[in-house]
Amino acid sequence: MKFYKDHYDVIVIGGALAGLSSALMLAEKGKDVLVLERHNLPGGIATSFVRGGIEIEAALHEMMSIGPEGNRLKVGKFLEDMGVQIDWLKVPEAYHASLPGLEVTLHPGLETFAKEVDAEVPGTYEKVLKLLNLCHTVFDSVNELSIHPMSKVQMLLKHEAFVKTAGYSTQEVIDTFDLPQKAQDLLAPYWIYVGTGFRTLPFTIFAVLMADYIGYGSYIPHKFSHEMSLKMAERAEAMGVQIEYRQHVDKILVKDGKVYGVRTARGDEIHADYVISAAYPNKVYTSMIEPLSEVPKKAIKMVNGRRLSLTAFSVIMILDKSAEELGIHDYSVFRGDTMDTEALYQDLAGLGPYRYLTCICHNYANPDATPEGTCSFSITTLPRVDGWKTVSADDYDRVKHEVAKQMIDDMSKYYGVNLLDHVLEIVIETPMTVAHYTGMWNGCIYGYAHTMEDHIVARLQTAEEEKFIEGLEFAGAHQISGDGMGPAVTNGRKAAKNVLDDMKKKEAAK
Amino acid sequence: MKVKGFLKDVGGASRVTKARLNAFETASETPETVDPIGNVAKEWHPGTLDLAVTDIRPASPTAKTVRFEKVGGGKLPPFYAGQFISLAFELDGKVLCRPYSISSAPFEARKENGYVEITVRRSKGDGLICDYINTELKVGDRVKGNMGLGQFYYEPLRDAHHIMALAGGVGITPFASMAKEIANGTMDAELTILYGSVSSNDIILKDELQALESDRVHVVNVLSGDEPDWTGERGFLTAELIKKYSKGDTSYFICGPQVMYKFLREEIKKLDVPARRIRFEVFGQAKDITTFAGYPVEKKDETYTLTVMRGIHKDEIPAKANESLVVACERAGIVLLTDCRSGECGFCRTKVLSGEYYVCPENDGRRAADKDFNYVHACAAYPLSDMTIKIPIV
Repeated sequence: MKFYKDHYDVIVIGGALAGLSSALMLAEKGKDVLVLERHNLPGGIATSFVRGGIEIEAALHEMMSIGPEGNRLKVGKFLEDMGVQIDWLKVPEAYHASLPGLEVTLHPGLETFAKEVDAEVPGTYEKVLKLLNLCHTVFDSVNELSIHPMSKVQMLLKHEAFVKTAGYSTQEVIDTFDLPQKAQDLLAPYWIYVGTGFRTLPFTIFAVLMADYIGYGSYIPHKFSHEMSLKMAERAEAMGVQIEYRQHVDKILVKDGKVYGVRTARGDEIHADYVISAAYPNKVYTSMIEPLSEVPKKAIKMVNGRRLSLTAFSVIMILDKSAEELGIHDYSVFRGDTMDTEALYQDLAGLGPYRYLTCICHNYANPDATPEGTCSFSITTLPRVDGWKTVSADDYDRVKHEVAKQMIDDMSKYYGVNLLDHVLEIVIETPMTVAHYTGMWNGCIYGYAHTMEDHIVARLQTAEEEKFIEGLEFAGAHQISGDGMGPAVTNGRKAAKNVLDDMKKKEAAK
Repeated sequence: MKVKGFLKDVGGASRVTKARLNAFETASETPETVDPIGNVAKEWHPGTLDLAVTDIRPASPTAKTVRFEKVGGGKLPPFYAGQFISLAFELDGKVLCRPYSISSAPFEARKENGYVEITVRRSKGDGLICDYINTELKVGDRVKGNMGLGQFYYEPLRDAHHIMALAGGVGITPFASMAKEIANGTMDAELTILYGSVSSNDIILKDELQALESDRVHVVNVLSGDEPDWTGERGFLTAELIKKYSKGDTSYFICGPQVMYKFLREEIKKLDVPARRIRFEVFGQAKDITTFAGYPVEKKDETYTLTVMRGIHKDEIPAKANESLVVACERAGIVLLTDCRSGECGFCRTKVLSGEYYVCPENDGRRAADKDFNYVHACAAYPLSDMTIKIPIV
């Protein structure tokens, strides 16, 4: 029986947001694409599941880079351009910050946000707005430069703020604004979505994060992130992409430094000119390339020279009363006993109790997320892989329950209601859950940490030198734009663009 | 570094690039292949296991307990008492999957050369595999299994410490697993089992359960048949009887035949307990799909052409309107793996490319977007016209 064509232009390993974005873009250019996904549905962690008849979001808190209708940002626009129509719902606020001495809900819009910070910490309006405007300028530059590379001189002329802040950490730049600590604290809650403390996080990343989320607000798909993943997959198939589910790719086949196909766990050897891998470079270069002798030492040094970023731990509950009845307020509550991001980053290396929690109540953006009289409430921390690497299979269930209980107890105290008395359904997602469903290296969902030694600007500069095998591209959180569902799409597009550019180059050479 | 002077600094990009290259230059060149988190995930969910039958013994005059161990020995994956195993049997070259609640306890699977057991009753009619297990399966036979499945287990962060099991027939099996785990001290809960049978001969695992009785495990057999010597409880599992054995905050776990579900749904309503305290095990494949609301009975005897795509490969097979898409594939020898066979788990998620179909309303566990795009769980979907579907390559 023949299940595959003799040859494809491109094989994409992994049918999550990055891989599907690659597939869409390649199919749009008429390329013959095969997507192999290990799970039985698309999306990776951008998915949902049904428990007790209620559909539950698996991972998405808020999508960045979507933007309002008529003024879409890059991810929203890309999806529309590809013919993927998502029913986006706007998240009503930026976040509710619950920090020492602070209980405040902040809303998107740079001026609105600055005003709300000023109301809490008087006299900071001008400075906060100036900082946010700087973020926005850098954000515009990043967006433009990621599409149109230019010379250093030109860059300096047109993108001065971007160039001049590139060498500094977030804290270094914030320090120059001379803001009171409380105002700084109110600017920091989103740090967890990029996952590095501010003394280490490149300002460029902070700027993009703030300008995008605070400038334009965030969105979720009406029918959970599965709506987005499925619509992308459906559109790709309509454009001729072959997607095969439950196909686990074991090996990437390489000869004389060039990719020529893959082998699945089932034993199918499938040939292609290019392979785009969502599997981590760590896994690809240490166990997937066949033969391993094709992996240059430099590739191993590159993987070893990078730091794995964050994984995820979420307690997702369906509660048997409405959010209002339980006193659960706001779509998102970011709660910490400090806003010292360096201390919090250290804390994430352990196994709890975690000091910084992110809570989402989907009903506030999507009133019919759950049946009437119930609500969905999730508590998330995004630990580093370090602590979880020490948990054995026999200890796993105990540790998982202890951590979950601490998180629920903490939020119960906060809301003054014992959430455990209202649990209709509960699902505990752990780094192991991520590893099980997606195969992500060590359950890591954030790729490599954004640090001054692994800076997005440097990633862009050295990208060409980090191609060790001809025809092999990567798409996922481990790529230039890093973690997040929005950046996943951007990473996928970048991989497709690299393939398309290479195809053009080869054709021109003929 | 003069931080305040950053607005004059144009060398940042070069600096961070140098830092990056330096980090790579000084990194180790020894491949690091360890993925401990992935390994724990694999230990819990190793995928398909090769299993061998190592023991078969009677569990009642009409039921047998079958023990499986891993071919080549070793521990079996951890699971929660109450979960099921999906076994794939190969009969006449056709692969048939069936889910069975595990009747042995999790701690027994975690021993060196651990085991899992299922307890199966000879059926009266359509249970092809039940009969096969009871009459033909023998020690040494091999099957493939996927275990640790399903949501029917005690979750301490949700359920009351006191569990009341409402069991009927072979639905006793998940509770046997819980009872053993509690007795072993590895599950912290109290369990009261109300077990309904027609006659004392029908009581499955009677001695094993009796031996487990303690201050934490209570077993109450309830007979509905006319048995003069019986001194225990009689009748059905009525609200009245359930109330009699309930104490304080109780979670009700219900597992049994489909008729019992229909009866207990009404009885449970009379108890006035919150929804979060009631948990039904999945419904199972509909015994007679034509009895469900909205099923077009006039089509029940039709046979349609089902086109099955696997990759670019295409097969055309017959499919009866009163049998699920999975059964049609199984009859034709096309492997379509299933886990729960109740439309809940989504393992057999299948794309409908064309044609009309009916989804059993008891077993419609689909995501909203999947419904919009004509995905079905093939174990719960029935053809109502010629159809084309796409299923995973196995």
